[in-house]
Amino acid sequence: MQPTRKRYGLKLKGGWAVTVLLCALVLSCAPAQTSRVEAAGLAQATTPSSGLVCTTSPDASFTLTAETGYISTPDGNTIFMWSYSPDATSFQYPGPFLCVNQGDTVTVTLKNTLPEDVSIIFPGQQDVLANGIPSQPQYLNGELTSLTTVAGKNGGTVTYSFVAKEPGTYLYESGTDIEKQTQMGLFGGLVVRPSGHPNQAYANSGSKFNPSTEFTMLLSEIDPDLHQAIERGTRFDITTYHPRYWMINGRSFPDTIADNGAAWLPTQPYGALVHMQPKSASNPDPALVRYLNVGMRNHPFHPHGNNGRVIGRDGSALVGPIGEDLSYEKYLVLVGSSQTWDVTYDWTDTDLWQPNTNPIPVTIPSQQDLTFKDSATWYSGSPYLGIQDELPVGVTSYNECGEYYHVWHSHALNEAANYDTGFGGMFTLQRIDPPSPNTCP
Amino acid sequence: MTKPPTSRKKLTRRNFISLGGGMAALAGVNLLPAMAKVLANPAPVQAAIVAAPPMATSTNIHLVGTDGWIYLPGPSSIVGDTPPRTVYPDPLAPGGRTTYIFGFRNVTGLSSTAVNDQKGKAQAPAPLLYVDQEADVRITLTNLGLQVRPDLVDSHTIHWHGFRNAIPLFDGVPEMSIAVPIGRDFTYYYKPHDPGTYMYHCHFEDVEHVQMGMTGVVFVRPAMNTPTQKYVYNDASTAYDREFVIFLTELWASAHYDDAHIQVSDWSEYSPDFWLMNGRCFPDTLQPAGDPLTIPGQPVLQYQPISSLVKANAGERVLLRFVNLGYQQHAMTLDGLSMRIVGKDATLLKGLGTTNPQIRNGADVSYETNTVYIGPGESYDAIFTAPNVTTDTTYLLYNRKFMYLNNGGTGTGGQMTEVRISPAGTLSPQAAPNT
Ligand SMILES: [Cu+2]
Ligand SMILES: [Cu+2]
Repeated sequence: MQPTRKRYGLKLKGGWAVTVLLCALVLSCAPAQTSRVEAAGLAQATTPSSGLVCTTSPDASFTLTAETGYISTPDGNTIFMWSYSPDATSFQYPGPFLCVNQGDTVTVTLKNTLPEDVSIIFPGQQDVLANGIPSQPQYLNGELTSLTTVAGKNGGTVTYSFVAKEPGTYLYESGTDIEKQTQMGLFGGLVVRPSGHPNQAYANSGSKFNPSTEFTMLLSEIDPDLHQAIERGTRFDITTYHPRYWMINGRSFPDTIADNGAAWLPTQPYGALVHMQPKSASNPDPALVRYLNVGMRNHPFHPHGNNGRVIGRDGSALVGPIGEDLSYEKYLVLVGSSQTWDVTYDWTDTDLWQPNTNPIPVTIPSQQDLTFKDSATWYSGSPYLGIQDELPVGVTSYNECGEYYHVWHSHALNEAANYDTGFGGMFTLQRIDPPSPNTCP
Repeated sequence: MTKPPTSRKKLTRRNFISLGGGMAALAGVNLLPAMAKVLANPAPVQAAIVAAPPMATSTNIHLVGTDGWIYLPGPSSIVGDTPPRTVYPDPLAPGGRTTYIFGFRNVTGLSSTAVNDQKGKAQAPAPLLYVDQEADVRITLTNLGLQVRPDLVDSHTIHWHGFRNAIPLFDGVPEMSIAVPIGRDFTYYYKPHDPGTYMYHCHFEDVEHVQMGMTGVVFVRPAMNTPTQKYVYNDASTAYDREFVIFLTELWASAHYDDAHIQVSDWSEYSPDFWLMNGRCFPDTLQPAGDPLTIPGQPVLQYQPISSLVKANAGERVLLRFVNLGYQQHAMTLDGLSMRIVGKDATLLKGLGTTNPQIRNGADVSYETNTVYIGPGESYDAIFTAPNVTTDTTYLLYNRKFMYLNNGGTGTGGQMTEVRISPAGTLSPQAAPNT
């Protein structure tokens, strides 16, 4: 069957290039070096250009509003969505990343502006209360209508609460009309930090990470037919589900590498650029990447250029009964539907290649004899970290200071696309800056 | 954009190599003294598949990228939709073959005439490569162009999937550095520090070029290997006697037909018809290994040289290197035998040690299973001990996702092979993987 893409607007070849240029400009913003500043019920006061944007609250109480809105895709489409918004006036996809501490009593009040009942389930949390009593599956005339207590349509409210007992990475998502509402965008992430150890993913010291390099890869899929049916009020048969867009933190590449809060993505605030430096005496701790898969498909995610160390899964540290390390390494994490994986990444400059003192023992032909795809590149012109060299005339470079770029993407390569156009979709970049001090802006 | 001033800049490669593409560029090394010493070592001539003797310090491999035709057993025809067209067997396919591919060939040591003669003779999957830990590995890629599609001027690259601490110039992602245009060469350099099972593929318009067949396996042999004992990792628990790569891909006949017939595919419609093990479908998986330079007993399989028939003597330890470079997930079951998973993604399955937290000599996290569930881009190293049989005994290794065990909708086929165990002492030592 041929795709029905014409109904969603034209493919904008030129628009792609424009977006990439914008992203390149945005990359000139260095990541925030400040520690996470926490503000009451708001995104952290200093939003870093890349990395996890925590929404926090001094008493771990949050209000989420289920509402409608639109997002854009890099090929020029606009898609009707539902999501949990952290304030009543602006829509965002996905819902906010709620960050709490182990032992907190977390309170989430859900306000529902949608024309049907909505709820939230918290997979991985125990003893969740709804309006002060245990949340329960809902039945009507013997039929299951919701996995949990709902906020009624058109203005209903429900308040959930639970004690965040175990540190880790979790999803929250709709428990009502689940195959439709989660697809429409009613989900977000929950980070529980271990007691007394904000720089660790779990209680064990082996889960330590550099808090200025903490990232999420919240993986989702979109079948635009489903969204169009909901917008038009027509029925969608879930057995025909066929995603055409694949997203990280609510964006598709190249939007994934734009800054957090990029102005031209007003309803998609979260980027997915992994920006870090090599491991060194002054940067001893790894980056932490929290993978969450909220889609209905498993996603094989491949960070180029280095293995990750898997330190936790589904809110459970990979530590044995006597504290022994049970971590393992992966160059591809197969994140199953509804799973979360906590993976640390070091960039170790093992061979320390230097042009004069330790050259890479191979000759490189003239760059004029090689292809620079679409006459644009993230390459520095030099294989050496921290060095820029000339590129052929007419080649646009996004490289700023001799930094390295690697692609991180779904290895189901049909998902590394925006609809039928490759070099998109569930795809982002890792940027490795040369060690400090460097000339990077 | 500011560039830091360096003396290096005066000596750009563009200045010193204007000799044009091709291996002739290597003559330019004298202009860069710092590199000359290393490159003065002449490249050893290699056999077509075998990469190097144990513990080589330097390995040079020459691959070409081109197109070609393979044979897949299947129904009398497969009709693709919109527009209806017979996508299998492809009417353009020569010599009884059925399916158009892009792919690589290993032309290490061949004359330039012989190299150019491989245009239009790609193999599936890409040549099996193996190199030694800590060797200087240079893989030269020559893009020969496409015999069937002279209008399609696609570049190619080599991406060594999983290589740690990769240098972008040698990582093969065209947008992050360079790609190799038709008629040109580029030499990729690697210094592998980490033994294990990896894969490689072209990353140029990857969803198309990977599906079209530019994918294969590369593994790194550990420093601990000796001429008489092989290991997967530098750990005695990973010793083995024989090894077999089980390389899994899928093939969507419509996309292959469309590439041969100047049409484009919508990859969001991906819907494969064939499930391949080492480039072949069962029962062809059982046919012996070949060499694309030699016409085999079954001539249609000339460009599918890798056998999947697993053979061992009773009591031997057999390593299966499972690699998936399709776009689907597979569940490889070894019926009647238990495997121990000793490594994943080129890492020993041991936790970090307590004395040196960098070294994986801690808790044993290997495990026993009879099914390896494997996603695209993953590798699993599984070892089983051949049972003590007194007569030849056959076990089956197949994809438990039964809907993938057919050839274009017909028969029992796809990702299946046999494991044949002989009484002790029957087989002589293994000369090369998958033989
Ligand atoms: Cu890749
Ligand atoms: Cu890959």
